[in-house]
Amino acid sequence: MPDHQRQVHNRLAVLRAERGLSRKQLADKLGINYQTIGYIERGDYNPSLELALTIAELFRLPIEAIFSLKPMTPLSEEIFREPPAETR
Amino acid sequence: MNTITTSRIEYLPRSRRRALVAVALAGYPVAVAALAGLKHTSLNRWLILALFLLLLVPTLATLTVSYRYARGRIDGCRARLDERDLTLRQQAYALSHRVLATILIAATAITEIYLTSGNTLQFDANTFWPAAMWVIVYLPALPSLMLAWIETDLPADA
Repeated sequence: MPDHQRQVHNRLAVLRAERGLSRKQLADKLGINYQTIGYIERGDYNPSLELALTIAELFRLPIEAIFSLKPMTPLSEEIFREPPAETR
Repeated sequence: MNTITTSRIEYLPRSRRRALVAVALAGYPVAVAALAGLKHTSLNRWLILALFLLLLVPTLATLTVSYRYARGRIDGCRARLDERDLTLRQQAYALSHRVLATILIAATAITEIYLTSGNTLQFDANTFWPAAMWVIVYLPALPSLMLAWIETDLPADA
């Protein structure tokens, strides 16, 4: 990844493991090379908006649940996090 | 066998790939310089030729490895390139252009300094062929070499 680019953090590896998909299987569904999945998971390559949206569509999740400019917190923490007091 | 070799080349770490690229780029000029030096010695002509060819072997080997590493991503031989391959190809061509421009500017500057220092440049087959061979060997190979230079290590299979 070029130095001037911001790293895009993602949960691709976790989501792929949850669904029992290999990199090859996911790559075939997305129509890309399997190495590209590895590069995205490692944070070495930022996918295009089109590819990011296709991944979100495939996992049936909003794009911000998969990609973020900030480091991702574990999914379990997000699910079981206490809601703020005023929303209770 | 062929697949195993290709796979090994595919997983070459970047540090090793960069060393190979350096050998590929330096190999031919070193061989030509050695040939020019050996021509003025009393060594047998066949021995000089054998030494020259021996010095060319690492260049040819490293060029072959770089070409294999590119796996059709530069010349478009691979049936389908995804967006990362296309981005990488673009970066490899851009870097090749910068490297080539630097080499040409440096060569022109050195020649200019040499000529303005009162020297004369003899342009004959002895000077033309090494330059022409450099163009023939490196111009088509430069994008593959640059791709091998810039690509980060392949992620481990999972």
